[in-house]
Amino acid sequence: MDSDTQWVTWEVLHQEKRGDPHVHVGSVHAPNAEMALILAKEQFARRQKCVNLWVVPTVAIVSMPYDDADIFEAGTDKSYREAWGYKVRERVRAARELDRLDPKEDDAGE
Amino acid sequence: MSDHTQDAATIDLLFRLADDELMMGHRNAEWTGVGPVLEEDIAFSSMAQDELGHAFAYYTVLHEHLGQDNPDTLAFRREAADFRNARLTALPRSDWAAAVMRQFLYDAAEQVRLEHYSSHPFAPLAQLARKFRGEEKYHLMHGKSWVMRLGSATEDSRARLQAALEALWPHALGLFEPGQGGEDAGASEAALCAGWLAQVCPLLVSSSLQVPAERTAKGQWQSRVAAVYGRYAEPAPERVALLDAMQKVYRLDPNADW
Repeated sequence: MDSDTQWVTWEVLHQEKRGDPHVHVGSVHAPNAEMALILAKEQFARRQKCVNLWVVPTVAIVSMPYDDADIFEAGTDKSYREAWGYKVRERVRAARELDRLDPKEDDAGE
Repeated sequence: MSDHTQDAATIDLLFRLADDELMMGHRNAEWTGVGPVLEEDIAFSSMAQDELGHAFAYYTVLHEHLGQDNPDTLAFRREAADFRNARLTALPRSDWAAAVMRQFLYDAAEQVRLEHYSSHPFAPLAQLARKFRGEEKYHLMHGKSWVMRLGSATEDSRARLQAALEALWPHALGLFEPGQGGEDAGASEAALCAGWLAQVCPLLVSSSLQVPAERTAKGQWQSRVAAVYGRYAEPAPERVALLDAMQKVYRLDPNADW
């Protein structure tokens, strides 16, 4: 449909509980920000738990072209930057084992 | 007041509340699939479900606390003459401006009512009033937003909204028809009506509409038009038609297991 027969779109970001990040969940057509919030409420907070919504004009979103996706590829092995690069689990297990053998060391527990 | 009289007034009040919600829910659900835009179609349908949910909750209180039949029986097997809805809530669907206007006038009345009833001496009603407040607040936000939008969009939208206001106004006043079960212990209909006028008139005026009401010297709003009452009268044709449609399937086989 022609752009002038449709309301503009607004991107909707949904927050499940206070302190959580707002997560993008979709978009709505609306003539203004107030109506965008009102309509977003029934589209995206009807079933899920929700404490807050944001709406942003779609045109305000600046996006990187997919053609440039290669900039996200690592040229060399960067596994040291990733959490799983560390053998955390084994170290946690070892620490717990120590705790168990000598509970006096840590009376606060886990 | 004896307990018996008190009960009669409460039963009458709850039937008025429940039947209004049931009729509004049914009429608004008629917009499902034909709303002006997809998002609004979904929003309006969802609000219609809210109204049906409120009706169900009121019928449940009538059943569990006041000795009335179960909610299904009350909704689907009662005769038109036994319903207590105001005429506003059962009027047939016309254009979108009328749907928006009816919803706005009705939800503003709901909000004023629930505000008063949240401390109603009949505890189950007070509890429901507090529970429904959030949904009704949203309904009113939605209604206000649409009225302001259509009031200032085009000459056509404003004219349709104005026509809807004039047609619906006397029926909206009819929401405050005094109960025949005796004066309610929570709030008088006259007080609720004054609160409603104070709520809707300024918004209608700021939406470029001509309100069929005026401000008195004391600063209160007063309708220039008389109310149309119909809760207890001979059932109006729109109530009969609505019930014919709504109860039809249920009445084919009242004992069916759904």
